Amino acid sequence: GMAEAEAAGDAGPAPAAAQEGAELAAVIGATVPTGFEQTAAEEVQEKLGSASRISRDRGKIYFEVPARSLPQVHRLRSVDNLFVVVQEFKDYQFKENKEDALKDLEDLVKKLPWTDPLKVWELNNSLKKKKTKRKKHNLQSPASREKLSDGGEEAAADQNTTTDQEDCAQNPVAVEPAGGQDTEDPQGVTSRNGVEEEEDNEQSDVQVEVQGSSECGTGAGDGQASEGEARVLRFRVTCNRAGDKHSFTSNEAARDFGGAVQEHFQWKADMTNFDVEVLLNIHNKEVVVGIALTEESLHRRNITHFGPTTLRSTLAYGMLRLCDPQPTDIIVDPMCGTGAIPIEGAAEWPYCFHIAGDNSPQAVKRAANNVSSLLRKNESKDSSAALGVPLDVLQWDICHLPLRTGSVDIVVTDMPFGKRIGSKKKNWDLYPACLMEMGRICTPGTGRAVLLTQDKKCFAKALSRVGHIWRRAQTVWVNVGGLHAAVYLLRRTCERAGEAGPLW
Amino acid sequence: MKLLTHNLLSSHVPGLRPGGGFPLRIEAAEVRVRPVPFNAAFVSRLVPRLRWDALREAAESLGRPSELPPEPSPGYEADEEFLRRLHHVLLEVEVLEGSLQCPDSGRRFPISRGVPNLLLSEDE
Repeated sequence: GMAEAEAAGDAGPAPAAAQEGAELAAVIGATVPTGFEQTAAEEVQEKLGSASRISRDRGKIYFEVPARSLPQVHRLRSVDNLFVVVQEFKDYQFKENKEDALKDLEDLVKKLPWTDPLKVWELNNSLKKKKTKRKKHNLQSPASREKLSDGGEEAAADQNTTTDQEDCAQNPVAVEPAGGQDTEDPQGVTSRNGVEEEEDNEQSDVQVEVQGSSECGTGAGDGQASEGEARVLRFRVTCNRAGDKHSFTSNEAARDFGGAVQEHFQWKADMTNFDVEVLLNIHNKEVVVGIALTEESLHRRNITHFGPTTLRSTLAYGMLRLCDPQPTDIIVDPMCGTGAIPIEGAAEWPYCFHIAGDNSPQAVKRAANNVSSLLRKNESKDSSAALGVPLDVLQWDICHLPLRTGSVDIVVTDMPFGKRIGSKKKNWDLYPACLMEMGRICTPGTGRAVLLTQDKKCFAKALSRVGHIWRRAQTVWVNVGGLHAAVYLLRRTCERAGEAGPLW
Repeated sequence: MKLLTHNLLSSHVPGLRPGGGFPLRIEAAEVRVRPVPFNAAFVSRLVPRLRWDALREAAESLGRPSELPPEPSPGYEADEEFLRRLHHVLLEVEVLEGSLQCPDSGRRFPISRGVPNLLLSEDE
């Protein structure tokens, strides 16, 4: 209640409540690209040692970790967003009548075990605070904003973030700047939220904190409480509802649940500048109440220069994991666009060699710029010389790859989608030629390919013509920007290609 | 462009003799050296996949005295000094400006800001 609100308003070092939070076992919910739940669970097992439950609500996994592991949780590469679970109901009985069903949800609020999850939320907040201060120095220039609204379906999301940035600029608050602003960070890498960068750059953080305080002149950690007093927390409720047996809409649920939350905590409702985002996820009879630990749309972590169809880093990571890169593997993305996949590859698999190529000069330029941003992130603390990364960018034609036959181990790429780039007719001709050429450059027997495409029909047909080079090993059904797509894992057969080219 | 990449590149100008597109001849106008974290196992496992003569030739064409032996000697896996020199040549030396020339056809492909442009023109 109010005690928590006061603690959250305090400036400086993490309040006592947050320290206490570190000892708790937190149940964390993570949203992941649909289809890659298993991949994400493997990463959680590998990096945190925890087993995950995969929810029937697609695109979500749940796992338990000590709250002090939050920094490592934020570094997971397969996860888009994180929340701390307040309570889960596996078999919630919704009343048939709308008023009754909504009243039940309202009544639920005061019965939920908020205390511990809120402590975890506070701890998470204190991890974010340092980065917020640094952000004040990195306010966007208009030129950078223009880059963000580069075409395609990303435009809508980017414009939302632009608005949030404007809010941030006027009101340097504890509210974590939205994804868009992250991209302007001169440190280069768009980290999920403050945590990752704070770990990497401890020294500069101390500096910046001092400057931050004197600049805003308030001494209050988040700048919001300019009088240095405790202030009331602001919140909003986000409801996602799926299922055909509910008598109410997600808006109604959010509204009424939100009303009860406001009543119970005496917080202030605010749709845009909120401290606490309460999540109400309803999937048929499964109800999960959570508190968000990340801001939306922060999955563009390695990409500072967008293109019209930039792939989510989490999806790029999932695709790479699928082909199980071994140290020394040579991994090629022959249609790399802005380079999301090879850049994710170079960051997570630095003992492989990554080659990115595209035929478009704009794409190549953006990919090269994104690599430069990654290099700046790698700048060692001791010297100003940036360490190189095992990655090269080239401009080439996918149908005539200037690579020796059988010279690479893995091909990973996002194939052109008919609707967003190129056309369906072009794909009909392009896909078989691509598969042949990718087959030629790939090592017979051990080579593999991981290909994302929305044009599943065209792909299946093309694949049937190259059965002597590629065998289908696994298919993952995914959702890319609202389009239903598939990721195919293919294995290279033992048949060797002739040196003369793809006509075999 | 790093020399490891160069070792994998082969010209695809049409009508070449088999193998006539490799190796591309480097003409470097600007070269940069940038450290990359060393991993012995990584470098060691690359050795069998490299075209060794082409690698030596490439290193020499960059005006750097060749630090590589004519052939990897038996037991190279354990020879850290050798592996470090190989690591340096493969990953730390980058061609920023210059061109790559197809040995058979003479066709030149530019390298600009570290990015080689290997697109063929419409009529090729």
